[in-house]
Amino acid sequence: MEPLSSLQILGHVLQQFLPVWVGMLVIFALSIMTKTKTGLYGKLFDSPIGMAGFALVLFWVLTAIFAESIMTHAALETASGMKFKAPGTPLRGAEAGDFQWYLFGGDNLARDVFSRMVAGSQIVLIIAPTATLFAFMVGITLGLPAGYFGGRTDTVLSFLANLVLAFPVILLFYLLVTPEIRAAGTEIQIWGGKTWVTSIPNLLAAILFLFPIVFLLILFQSRFFTQPKLRNILVIGVLLLGAWMYSGLTFNADPLGILGMDPNLLNIFVSVVFVNSPTVYRIVRGLAMDIQTRDYVAAAQTRGEGPWYIMLWEILPNARGPLIVDFCLRIGYTTILLGTLGFFGLGLSPESPDWGSTINEGRKLLSLTPYPALIPALALMSMVLGLNLLADGLREQSLKD
Amino acid sequence: MAKWDYDGPILEIENLSISFFTRAGEIPAVMDFSTTVMPGEAMGLVGESGCGKSTVALGVMQDLGKNGEIVGGTIKFKGRNLNEMSEEELRDLRGSEIAMIYQEPMASLNPAMRIGQQLMEVPIIHEGVSKAVAREMAIEVVTDVKLPDPERILDSYPHQLSGGQQQRIVIAMALMSKPSLLILDEPTTALDVTVEAGIVDLVKGLGEKYGTSMLFISHNLGLVLDTCDRLCVMYSGEAVETGSIEDVFDKMRHPYTQALFRSIPLPGADKNAAPLVAIPGNFPLPHERPSGCNFGPRCDYFEKGRCNKGQIMMDPVEGGGRDRHESRCLKVREIDWKAPLVAGDNSARTEPGKVVLKVDNLKKYYEVAANAIFGGGDVRVVKANETLSFEARESETLAIVGESGCGKSTLAKVLMGLETATDGTVTLNGDNIENLPIEGRDTKTVSSIQMVFQNPFDTLNPSMTVGSQIIRALEIFKVGNTPADRRQRMLELLDLVKLPRAFADRMPRQLSGGQKQRVGIARAFAGSAQIVVADEPVSALDVSVQAAVTDLLMEIQRENKTTLLFISHDLSIVRYLADRVMVMYLGHVVEMGTTEEVFSPPYHPYTEALLSAVPIADTSVQKKRIVLDGDIPSAMNPPSGCPFQTRCNHKVNVPNNLCETEVPPMRDLAGSQQIKCHLAQNWLDQMEPVIKIAAE
Repeated sequence: MEPLSSLQILGHVLQQFLPVWVGMLVIFALSIMTKTKTGLYGKLFDSPIGMAGFALVLFWVLTAIFAESIMTHAALETASGMKFKAPGTPLRGAEAGDFQWYLFGGDNLARDVFSRMVAGSQIVLIIAPTATLFAFMVGITLGLPAGYFGGRTDTVLSFLANLVLAFPVILLFYLLVTPEIRAAGTEIQIWGGKTWVTSIPNLLAAILFLFPIVFLLILFQSRFFTQPKLRNILVIGVLLLGAWMYSGLTFNADPLGILGMDPNLLNIFVSVVFVNSPTVYRIVRGLAMDIQTRDYVAAAQTRGEGPWYIMLWEILPNARGPLIVDFCLRIGYTTILLGTLGFFGLGLSPESPDWGSTINEGRKLLSLTPYPALIPALALMSMVLGLNLLADGLREQSLKD
Repeated sequence: MAKWDYDGPILEIENLSISFFTRAGEIPAVMDFSTTVMPGEAMGLVGESGCGKSTVALGVMQDLGKNGEIVGGTIKFKGRNLNEMSEEELRDLRGSEIAMIYQEPMASLNPAMRIGQQLMEVPIIHEGVSKAVAREMAIEVVTDVKLPDPERILDSYPHQLSGGQQQRIVIAMALMSKPSLLILDEPTTALDVTVEAGIVDLVKGLGEKYGTSMLFISHNLGLVLDTCDRLCVMYSGEAVETGSIEDVFDKMRHPYTQALFRSIPLPGADKNAAPLVAIPGNFPLPHERPSGCNFGPRCDYFEKGRCNKGQIMMDPVEGGGRDRHESRCLKVREIDWKAPLVAGDNSARTEPGKVVLKVDNLKKYYEVAANAIFGGGDVRVVKANETLSFEARESETLAIVGESGCGKSTLAKVLMGLETATDGTVTLNGDNIENLPIEGRDTKTVSSIQMVFQNPFDTLNPSMTVGSQIIRALEIFKVGNTPADRRQRMLELLDLVKLPRAFADRMPRQLSGGQKQRVGIARAFAGSAQIVVADEPVSALDVSVQAAVTDLLMEIQRENKTTLLFISHDLSIVRYLADRVMVMYLGHVVEMGTTEEVFSPPYHPYTEALLSAVPIADTSVQKKRIVLDGDIPSAMNPPSGCPFQTRCNHKVNVPNNLCETEVPPMRDLAGSQQIKCHLAQNWLDQMEPVIKIAAE
């Protein structure tokens, strides 16, 4: 079989992404039709920059969702004779049902670069937003009281935040993933015959993963204590769900055996949350200081609302504009950070198809063929660009209101 | 650039139309606007927010931004069409021939430059003079705007000056180039009344001295009466009436002007006998203007099929005025303009009942540490409230009057429990609450004393529906047992404040300022409040809406026998609705008594100045002009002795320098009046009324 020409490669790639195109078309059509009713999200479609950003992000989100049908080969599948092959090389010895080409060529272990890029999107799109979300939970839960109460609370918390910010990030990562540090600590027997080490990363995870549960509990308690029935349902729901996820993520010991977290992944995750949350903390603190001078906060105070109700229901919703913008930007930073970590070999296991690791793998053999490094690099760039454009669009539109 | 001489009108605007182009399409902001300003003349532009008055000013400056565009008509300055000038010619003109003064003085000054440099820049750029000459000119102008110690002022940075001084500097900067036309866009709105009076005096004097023509933009009719020769009333993008001050104020010929005058509290208005008449309905949004007359839907004289057909033109008023008096009304000849106002519902005066709130010797001091982070250092004490004593009775309105920094907001905070008192007692229904912070108060106490806030755009949480905010208050006050109960009660509260029930599901941004303020009132009454502290509840609203909100408050008060503590700096509205008045200055109560007693002599010298400073939109009122020197001292650093002694005009009449050494005691005068002043009785007896209504 002949190798594919550039045009043919493009054609095949476009065809592989068919579910993504259909999904984007449907979502855009629906969003534009209902844009007058959907608030800030709807206004995004008034801004060309915002739309472009949203399109790029949506492209990768849908790619991650439909990854199974887009991938032409499995992420770890190797084929003989495909090492460092140029894009469009036909697969030697392919069977009738198989996809006949390596669209973006093969890498140093003769794996399909195209499929690995698609599989990588799944990992990146799960880790980056979740880590950012956790960082926001931590930052918000600490930033609101610091801004609202001020005084000593603020002094102590801000000092801690500055301490974390003042420590070199890469060094921190190296420390957190060093085998010695990861092993240091006593082993504790936990349920299900599993053990847990009280190492620094594990302890950090135990603390940081508590924040979302605490956050949600306070959120519901402060608002719905006037309706005990509803409050009880919500609180019990949060506790059950929280305990389940906490046991799975923190201790890797989900009693149901569904959730779990690879120790490598946990390290990365904890580190990213840990370095991101002080920045979020500062933003939230500033916003809380500003918004607490508003009359509606005074109105809540004068009717005797508790401080957490005021922080979470009067201040936080009205700080959402800048926070959403920062969230988008921060997913971008986190994606880059994950890439950087992967590049330094600090990230996930070397065979993982995530973009940072694949760039690192590809880099070593750059002189033989550029594609194994170039393709994930472009993917990473386009997604971060999309997030930045989306954030710009959101900022532009939220200022207009 | 050489200034050219021109004898004709300084500014001629003919059929000006300005539109803003947004994604939603063209939005006309000003339509068919014509006016002429003669040399030395002061022209007032009056209207509510959104009526296009500032857009006209920006049009004259040719500074409409990238969305705005002049779509018709001409603006001629000294006979030359500004629309046809190049960008370069315009730049020469701005700041040298036409100068503009904005509302917020701090925003017009560069915070990183000394005042002197900023002033000197003007002649250096426009006239190319040397630095020394420019400095001479700067000193001269700063002296002209009556600032003390010009040399020191020139060497200071903007933040070192008070708001009033900053605005004087902005005016000085505008005068540096001796402009032919000065545009003032609400120049005093951000200032206190007594400071405003000084600025108004200054502007008037300068107009006479420099012969500058002025375009004075304001929403305050009283201020326009004080400063201008002619005025133009605008409504929804159109001029509706224009003419000399006397013609428009006394022989108004447009229903909107008439309605506007009927909705502002002039001396003689009374909440029981002669209530204000609010203009029904709402100001139309620019893209929802009706066809025909814009004021039609809100007009009492509206005639279907005539007023809503076609464009209505400005027409000279026959017989009404001598001096270019024009009105945009089809029925101007048919309406009987002298017909007396059909009296609204008169209501019986409600008698105050038992004492609900008693404040005795209340003190509130704040300690300000010099070093906030680590503590220590000098501790300074700010005396926000100093020995306040008063009582408030059931269904009584007690007005608390004072300018910024007088301690009225601190008093409100102590009453609400957001702060605890340093000394003294506050008794609510016989229970002491001065040391009970809000967390420590039971639901009944909290719900029985509630507050209405000043800024309508800030009073509601922007991310919650109107209904859920009221329901939340009901939940907290433990009103109703089920969500359905509370929803029902919430709808009743909306009825109470005369809002449609459909508003329950709206977001605050979909409501106008007046409607938001009504929701704020509904929320305050959610727990059947006994006492409502209203902190300037209408001062941020448009004139025509103020009357409606004030009336609503009065009506609810009458029905529920609520005690209203009405905090305000606007003496006109205080005179209209208060039963008793308490005047505060720098944390002290300086005068207290019934409304009649406080508004007639003898006065405390501060009350006298305050009364004189409030602009009144009535040509038959003659005021004694008392302008105070300087600004309100800072509460961080109050003067020794009497708090008012630094600005008092009567200080010379007190022997032995008593004012500077001793705080005067509270003295009882005739009736229930009390004042805090050293003036001897014979001086008090000699005082003349500040406001006299000329016999008609």
